[in-house]
Amino acid sequence: MELLVLFGALLALLVIGVPVGFALFGSALACFLAMGIPPVVAVQRVASGISVFTLMAIPFFIFAGDLMYRAGIAERLVRVADAAIGRVRGGLGIVDVGASMMFGAVSGSAIASASAIGSTMVPLMKDKGYPADYAVNVTVTAAIVGLLIPPSHNMIIYSAASGIGVSIGDLFLAGVIPGLLTGLMLMVVAWVVAHRRDLPTGVFPGWREFVRATAFAVPGLMTAVIIMGGILSGIFTPTESSAVAVVYTLLVGTLVYRSLGWRGTWEAAGKSVRTAAMVLFIIAAATAFGFCLALLEVPAALGTLIGLMTDNPLITLLIINIMLLALGTFMDMAPLIVITTPIFLPVAMGAGVDPVHFGIIMMLNLGIGLVTPPVGSVLFVGSAVGKLPVTQLVKTIWPFYLTLIAALLLITYVPVLSLWLPGFMGGE
Amino acid sequence: MAQKISRLLIAFGSFGLLAMTAIIAWQVFGRFVLDSSPSWTEQASLILMIWYVMFAAAAGVHEGFHIRIALLEEKLGPRARPFVRLAGAIVAVLGLVLCVYGLQLCWLVRGNTVPSLGLSRAVAYVPLPIAGLLMTLFALPQIASGIYPGPAHDAEETL
Repeated sequence: MELLVLFGALLALLVIGVPVGFALFGSALACFLAMGIPPVVAVQRVASGISVFTLMAIPFFIFAGDLMYRAGIAERLVRVADAAIGRVRGGLGIVDVGASMMFGAVSGSAIASASAIGSTMVPLMKDKGYPADYAVNVTVTAAIVGLLIPPSHNMIIYSAASGIGVSIGDLFLAGVIPGLLTGLMLMVVAWVVAHRRDLPTGVFPGWREFVRATAFAVPGLMTAVIIMGGILSGIFTPTESSAVAVVYTLLVGTLVYRSLGWRGTWEAAGKSVRTAAMVLFIIAAATAFGFCLALLEVPAALGTLIGLMTDNPLITLLIINIMLLALGTFMDMAPLIVITTPIFLPVAMGAGVDPVHFGIIMMLNLGIGLVTPPVGSVLFVGSAVGKLPVTQLVKTIWPFYLTLIAALLLITYVPVLSLWLPGFMGGE
Repeated sequence: MAQKISRLLIAFGSFGLLAMTAIIAWQVFGRFVLDSSPSWTEQASLILMIWYVMFAAAAGVHEGFHIRIALLEEKLGPRARPFVRLAGAIVAVLGLVLCVYGLQLCWLVRGNTVPSLGLSRAVAYVPLPIAGLLMTLFALPQIASGIYPGPAHDAEETL
């Protein structure tokens, strides 16, 4: 009964257009009232939802991503990728994926990646005669790869939501190979689609230009070394590394590239505060919502239910994946991590899945949700950058969807892809 | 008026974000260079974050940057106005709940102290009732006009 109130209220509020954070808070409140729990508990859950140290990495990574974009780091990464692989047919599609992967390695947010790489790549590709839908489709799906390539603020949310202290360092390492693999698969598909649609080729600018472009990009790419090196060697905590990334980007942007001034920094701060407030308010509200689910013993019930359906771990993972994909189409990634991790992680661990591996599965799965309508924040960014309606984009995006699904299946069923590197580095 | 308050809230947030960067950078610097890790930095920056996140979330009601599903407006156009009004009213009520029970929460935890800062825990939670009240006020124009402030998904704003 209370469960019906919780989900009924959530659905009704979302449909009439109440913002996601308020809808989560409102439905949790309705559930509390139905259970006779004082409303102050709901507010207390919201407060505790944002009083989490590791979550401080979110505003930092968002801020660092925006600063990198304003400092022109995205543009420089595009130049490196273009010098390296721009000459083949449909080369700019591959360049787009490559640049997104590099941006993923320096920034922790898929939305930052889609808008930073997208605003450089999409106009460039249109200029060179590529259709806008292709440019946007490649950009948005490639941005998802950045969720797997460390750093990734969503992995930090997962670690906080897991409740068993899954190591952020291990998660970051575990994402490397799945990220490279998914990126390579997208490159191949971008190339095949380009051949089918007979898209233009580029020219190799020569080794000199390649070396020059790389040299210009090195200070930006060093961010990745600092973040990963700092976390893995235990010099910084992940939260500290994200703040260091902000400071380093400010230094590179103002002193090395000289493209970032007071004005740009202040504007970036304003923009990042808005995004961070939106994301963290949703996470806070999702914490109250998740508390309701826990009170109603939904995780245990769902575990039993899946247990009745199958005792095969492969099918269990398939069921979880399908449920997450369905939820991902109409909910954003951060609240889904907060809400579904406590539900599905125990079920997955019961089926013998490593929590680090499960985190990687969730990243890619819910990442796909970011590029599927009706609610897909990365798809919306792409649609705005490419000036194309979402309905037109999704007509030609299916080869890329299929690639991401194929990558998801591979990553789900070949755990060694995720677990080898953390094991090799002695993390586990 | 609402415009001014909202801008002020975002400016406070921008300043807060920069200050938080400086505080955590100081913590790292302190540990490595001065060899003494200041104990107040983590708690202070966390409280700062709660403050600016709640305030900017309130400004988000005025600017309309909170992500939502705009299904009805896309399908019904101007005929969706009653629903937009209703959505605004719900946000206003939730803001009021946040305000009233946020105050109660502050009152309940007033005796607890934040470790390493010596402040009352209520200091961390006081932005909740303030932001709640502001959310209610900022939602009023939407109830009156039946139009959601700002674009449904403006990528530039949600970067």
